[in-house]
Amino acid sequence: MEPLDLELEATEIELPVEPMLVNVGPSHPAMHGTVRCVMELSGESIEHVDVQVGFLHRGFEKMCERGTWSQVFPYVDRCNYVSPMLNNVGFAMACEKMLGIEVPVRCQYYRMILGELARMSDHLTCAGAMAMELGAFTPFLWMVKARDLIWDIMEEETGARLTHSFGRVGGMAKPPTDGFKEHVRAVVPQVLSILSECERLLLGNRIFLDRLEGVGLISAEDAISLGWTGPCLRAAGVPYDVRKAHPYLKYGEVEFDVPVGTNSDCLDRFLIRFDEMKQSARIIEQSVERLADQGPINVDDPRVILPEKHEVYSTIEATIQHFKIVMEGLKLPAGEVYSYTEGGNGELGFYLVSDGSGTPYRVRIRPPCFLVTAGLERIITGQMIADVVPCFGSLNMIGGECDR
Amino acid sequence: MPTFLLDDREIEFNPGDTVIAAAERSGVDIPHYCWHPGLSTAANCRMCLVEVMPPEGRPALLLDVLKYDDEKGDYVLARKPKLQPACQLAAAPGLRIKSQTSEHAVEARAAVQEFLLLNHPVDCPICDQAGECRLQDYWLEHSGKKKRMKDEILHRPKAVDFGPTIVYDAERCIVCTRCVRFCDEVVGDHVLDKRERGNLGEIVLAPGRQLDHAYTLMTEHVCPVGALTSKDFRFKARVWFLRSERSVCQGCATGCNSYTDYDPRNETVYRYRPRENQAVNKYWMCDDGMLDYRRIHEHRILNAKLSGKKSGVDDALGEAASKLAPVAKEKLAILLSFTHSSEDNLALLELARALGISQTYATGRPNGTGDNILRSVDKNSNRAGVLQLAEATLGAAPLDFQSLGRAIESGTVGAVLALGSEVDDAPALDLLRRVPVIAFSTFEGELAQRATVLLPASSWAEADGTFVNAAGLSQVSKKAIEPQGDSAPAWRLVLGLASKLGVTLPFAKAKDLEKVLSARAPRSSAGSVPAGQATAEAQA
Repeated sequence: MEPLDLELEATEIELPVEPMLVNVGPSHPAMHGTVRCVMELSGESIEHVDVQVGFLHRGFEKMCERGTWSQVFPYVDRCNYVSPMLNNVGFAMACEKMLGIEVPVRCQYYRMILGELARMSDHLTCAGAMAMELGAFTPFLWMVKARDLIWDIMEEETGARLTHSFGRVGGMAKPPTDGFKEHVRAVVPQVLSILSECERLLLGNRIFLDRLEGVGLISAEDAISLGWTGPCLRAAGVPYDVRKAHPYLKYGEVEFDVPVGTNSDCLDRFLIRFDEMKQSARIIEQSVERLADQGPINVDDPRVILPEKHEVYSTIEATIQHFKIVMEGLKLPAGEVYSYTEGGNGELGFYLVSDGSGTPYRVRIRPPCFLVTAGLERIITGQMIADVVPCFGSLNMIGGECDR
Repeated sequence: MPTFLLDDREIEFNPGDTVIAAAERSGVDIPHYCWHPGLSTAANCRMCLVEVMPPEGRPALLLDVLKYDDEKGDYVLARKPKLQPACQLAAAPGLRIKSQTSEHAVEARAAVQEFLLLNHPVDCPICDQAGECRLQDYWLEHSGKKKRMKDEILHRPKAVDFGPTIVYDAERCIVCTRCVRFCDEVVGDHVLDKRERGNLGEIVLAPGRQLDHAYTLMTEHVCPVGALTSKDFRFKARVWFLRSERSVCQGCATGCNSYTDYDPRNETVYRYRPRENQAVNKYWMCDDGMLDYRRIHEHRILNAKLSGKKSGVDDALGEAASKLAPVAKEKLAILLSFTHSSEDNLALLELARALGISQTYATGRPNGTGDNILRSVDKNSNRAGVLQLAEATLGAAPLDFQSLGRAIESGTVGAVLALGSEVDDAPALDLLRRVPVIAFSTFEGELAQRATVLLPASSWAEADGTFVNAAGLSQVSKKAIEPQGDSAPAWRLVLGLASKLGVTLPFAKAKDLEKVLSARAPRSSAGSVPAGQATAEAQA
């Protein structure tokens, strides 16, 4: 090996001046799901970034066009796999809007409780992962423990922890279990106490706050023009929440607030999820109060609801009903509909086109995450490379929703 | 054209039309079981009841009825209009009729549906009709109510053998008498009748008879429910897995329009269904035709053969070319086939022209039995088309198979290029052994046995083809399944042989062939699906 030229002055060393390209992803431990960032760095700051989202392609929308309308439920489960119940309910409501039917009140409250639990699970995952990625492992474990408590309820109700496929056009797969209310009343305070512990652990931590405060700023106008909705938009100070702006189910009849942020930085996006979980707990509390113990969970409509099994085996009418729904699929009237609900990360829209047959003609999803992730480029340009981690985490990209 | 008002729609009608027929022509479906456009009116199912509004300024004719009042828990007096069956109601100008918008008609249909299902067995899972059954469709559209009867249903004879083709199930029967009327009115054979009434009503055979005329499968076809099932189709396939393609029956020279129902998963044809064409077969097909689909899969030649030994198609084409090369072109002959499409025959004719062959013969299936309903004595689907094409291409009508035998005997024919599988003159067959025969055949048989080089031609279900029926009507039969085994449409094989022989034909693709064909034989009615076919799909 040649000796170093010790006589050379440090100032004479030529430093490279052209920017450095760093590629992260699409398959990389730092990325949740398959997304790729090609960053042009000048030193440690990001000059340009190219965020490429479309690496996950299951062909979700195309898959929907081959089965029946009910067979879409497992697919929407897998769009947002941390709050699948919200997707289930969102899709069921789109179909019901097309049919012009409304589910019974009992089912509406049931859907709200399960939906808010799913929202808590979604936010817990996001906040926990964000903390973990910044080095705080303990809060992540605590929040995942809280999430598990919620998933226990889901498992009890639906039989599955993650991909429930529990929604049905015109109702739910099953009525609430006998111990449902008791279970929910026991779990929600536990989750809230874990939340407050995490708050105390994180919000007094200099390192954690320094890495979030003033990082990843975006103006309200930019957020709106990017199509942001949900916690990320509300962190930018825009109080848009589908549950308040266009109440559906019984959201118009329960009391809750829409928390908004002031600085629109990563910290705001982190805190707003904590506040929303507390609001969800309020909604759940009121809904559990009003959830009737008896009464139908499904609409009484032979076009969409499967008959009781014992009737299928013993009467021809129920056999025909079963046959029609299973073999041909329930039929939505020809036409199109856009239906939107508040998903875990913002407005979850379904645009359905039906040709009147039992098979969807077109299912278009407006996933909140796809549009929010599209804004990543805007908020990390000009930041330091280390800021990519909290910025990306605060947007809560769910890979399944970015399926293009 | 005079019109009447049905719900909110103006419906045009011809004088003499019934309301249901006029509505159907305008694309408005009034639910019905017993009415069939090709049969007389029975008006016994009561599903097509409609409310006829009184003339302007006149009171409606109302009947006093007792109606159950849920609140009172007792029957109360009510009035309702007398409903009329739309299948029997003559259309008249200015008539105002309510069908779906009349609460009384809607209620009546729900009640009819409830009664029809009262004693119906829970058979959908094992019933061949499931998926195309009126009882299923109308229950969802017009009733949607659960069973109210608590009693055990009335059990009736099941799987009654009606004859060689049909099985009857009295439990599923709604006694609409479509099958009885079909036999009476179309076939003229009063073999079926109805006995008893109400719950006990059922269809019976005439004493000492079987349902064994030539159109028995049509009784299954007109049956709106699963009461009559075809022995051939029974438990073979579930209809929701089948796809349909428009085809033309190959059983005889009538050229009945049909649907080829096939399963795309295993590329298998399971049945034919008649396709309405008022100019040819109206709504019907004969048993021979309905079962003719079986030939698509039976006794098929799926490999090329050289003197009876299996071979690749390409090798066989090369061998055929080397067999033909040493023969002087004056001694070459082509044998056209009355059973193959005009496309296949045209390809062979074009090859003959390119090679300078002038000896043209044609043959097909021998004559069979016919009647004056649908069946033709001539069992070849394309005789008229082949004669016309040969005339147009070579300027001379082809000679018959017997003449080919004589020509071989006298030594004027040294080799034969033959299309088809069957011949109409058995004695001349043996003479074929004396010369090399290159055969493009679909089915095993005498011609295939005598072939020196045998090439596997695909059947009519595996390619689009044009067929000219005895009346001179040119009709297209569409491809349903992929060519089986190594087979290919005969025109494609001829094209392959032409390239081995070093001659070019005026077409290379199906599209070009289509153009040549339409220039050579202009179609009297292109596409040839006369009016009325649109409703054929509804006639399940």
